[in-house]
Amino acid sequence: MGKSAVLSLRKIWKIYEMGDVRVNALRDFSLDILEGDYMVVMGPSGSGKSTFLQITGCLDKPTQGEVLIDGVNTSNMTDNQLAAIRNKKLGFVFQSFNLLSKMTAQENSALPLIYSGVSRKKRMNRAKELLEQVGLGDRIRHRPNELSGGQQQRVAIARALANDPPVVLADEPTGNLDSKSSEEILNILKTLHESGKTIIVVTHDPDMIHQGNTVVHILDGQIEKIERKS
Amino acid sequence: MELFMESLRSLYANKLRTFLSMLGIIIGVTAMIAVVSIGQGATASITERISSLGSNVFMISPGYSGGSSGRAYVNLSDVLTKKDVENIKMLCPNIKGVSPLIQQRFSLKYGTNNTSSQIYAIYPDFFQILNLDLESGRKINQEDIDDYAKVGVIGKDIANDLFGTENPLGKTVYMTVSVGNTNKTIPIQIVGALVQTGSKLIYNPDKMLIIPFTTAEGRIVNTRGSVSTILASAISPEVSERVYLEIDQVLYMRLHDSTKYSITSQDSILGAVSEVTGIMNLFLGSIAAISLLVGGIGIMNIMLVSVSERTREIGIKKALGATRKRILMEFLIESVMITFIAGLLGILLGTALSKMVEIAASAYALKTQVTWDSVIIAFGTASLIGLFFGIYPASKASKLSPLEALRYE
Repeated sequence: MGKSAVLSLRKIWKIYEMGDVRVNALRDFSLDILEGDYMVVMGPSGSGKSTFLQITGCLDKPTQGEVLIDGVNTSNMTDNQLAAIRNKKLGFVFQSFNLLSKMTAQENSALPLIYSGVSRKKRMNRAKELLEQVGLGDRIRHRPNELSGGQQQRVAIARALANDPPVVLADEPTGNLDSKSSEEILNILKTLHESGKTIIVVTHDPDMIHQGNTVVHILDGQIEKIERKS
Repeated sequence: MELFMESLRSLYANKLRTFLSMLGIIIGVTAMIAVVSIGQGATASITERISSLGSNVFMISPGYSGGSSGRAYVNLSDVLTKKDVENIKMLCPNIKGVSPLIQQRFSLKYGTNNTSSQIYAIYPDFFQILNLDLESGRKINQEDIDDYAKVGVIGKDIANDLFGTENPLGKTVYMTVSVGNTNKTIPIQIVGALVQTGSKLIYNPDKMLIIPFTTAEGRIVNTRGSVSTILASAISPEVSERVYLEIDQVLYMRLHDSTKYSITSQDSILGAVSEVTGIMNLFLGSIAAISLLVGGIGIMNIMLVSVSERTREIGIKKALGATRKRILMEFLIESVMITFIAGLLGILLGTALSKMVEIAASAYALKTQVTWDSVIIAFGTASLIGLFFGIYPASKASKLSPLEALRYE
């Protein structure tokens, strides 16, 4: 059974110009992410793994090359079209949670639904449901500063799932967490994967290697090796 | 709606800052409402006072000669005569009443009470021209004129000074007149008392003692046959322009020089006054408008701070799928909301302030008027300022790239 690629990166170059210095963050980088994959991207700092995630997540545009989402080329898309893709097809989880401090857990989780035009009542119900799924049903009215790091990250995951996107992108999701909280987060990601979502995690935590079924090692903006487990 | 609630919440989260940025607009709108309402009140009260003279009254006074080419300025005090009064009465068909007027201050005495008063020497038409009503007694009539009668009609204030609570009717007051080096006392019997009216433009009937013109001319004032002023009234306000021309023609026929006399109507005074008050209101209004502008710049400043402070928030929202337009609207609505609320507060405060001024200035019977157009203009200007000065920060926010914004610490 040949799985189709949800995301394909084709000959991506990303060049940052910092003053006179040119940094090649990605060099002729090509990668297919298959539907239902759990991909762990490893690499030392400065290897280009964050840039990889930003470009995959349509937060940034490559200097050269194409990103295909569900087979559709994003190169010529407008800002609004890219925003819609981020909203509907991708869910983001960040290292530093990036929750809005003035909003409750429920409002934070419902945020992407505002941008897809869901009514307030439906948004709040959906957010409540999601928070219950990640085990925070009793904390929906708490604000981020009233939650532990692990709880905040779980709110962030609930938020990433709001529009039920096929792909979840996580940038060092356990980087700011203790081992117990990390384990909880990893369990949630695993459950998500089992429910059919495509997961892409960028990390330098070696423990996570065992999580994914595809491990990509990046070095100096290029793929060093790919291990596929199944 | 959703956006409104969100921006309200965001404003509420930064209460102090929101309030401070509102302050400029609040003060601007308050000043604008108060200044315009006080200005309009003042204009209305001045207009009313001028109009109290009656909208069809003309004052004819002597002109002057010289004052240029090295010649001395001379008031032509003896240019108008009783003959002109007769002419105007006969030749101007739209004239209702006409009266000569000599005005001079004398000291009056009744028993042990002394006061000084303006003596108005007139024809009976005077009462009708100035629209004077009697509290008791009778007016000066033609018989009094013919008889050089030593009778008078007394104004309320003078009556109070001389008689206190006594009824002035039938009493005799003594007028002290100096003739050469000697003083002569002339008795005047009071035959009528005026109701209190307050001042009517340049005349204040409350401080008048009105006597027949002939009485004054013969024995009290040395007029050499001239009159200092002629008062006339038109049969209706509609014909006042025609009356002006009629009077002008009559006087020109006799004097052959339009600089020797001047005809002043209430309308011409009103015109000049409203021009002055109009300029005044415009001037004060523009000062208030400047403070609105300054308030707007303050809002832009605050919104720019807010954009850079919330860069990360903007990044998160964009990463989650917020479009550029959405971010633009969020910030724009926020700044319009600030000015909107500030505008409302300003209108309330401005109205309160103008009421306070009205109470404080009650002695001048100043009625301030908060008019709808001033409210709408102030409110509209404030909201437009919010929109205008909100556009730049909002577009700056919307143009942030999600990645840059997320990286921002």
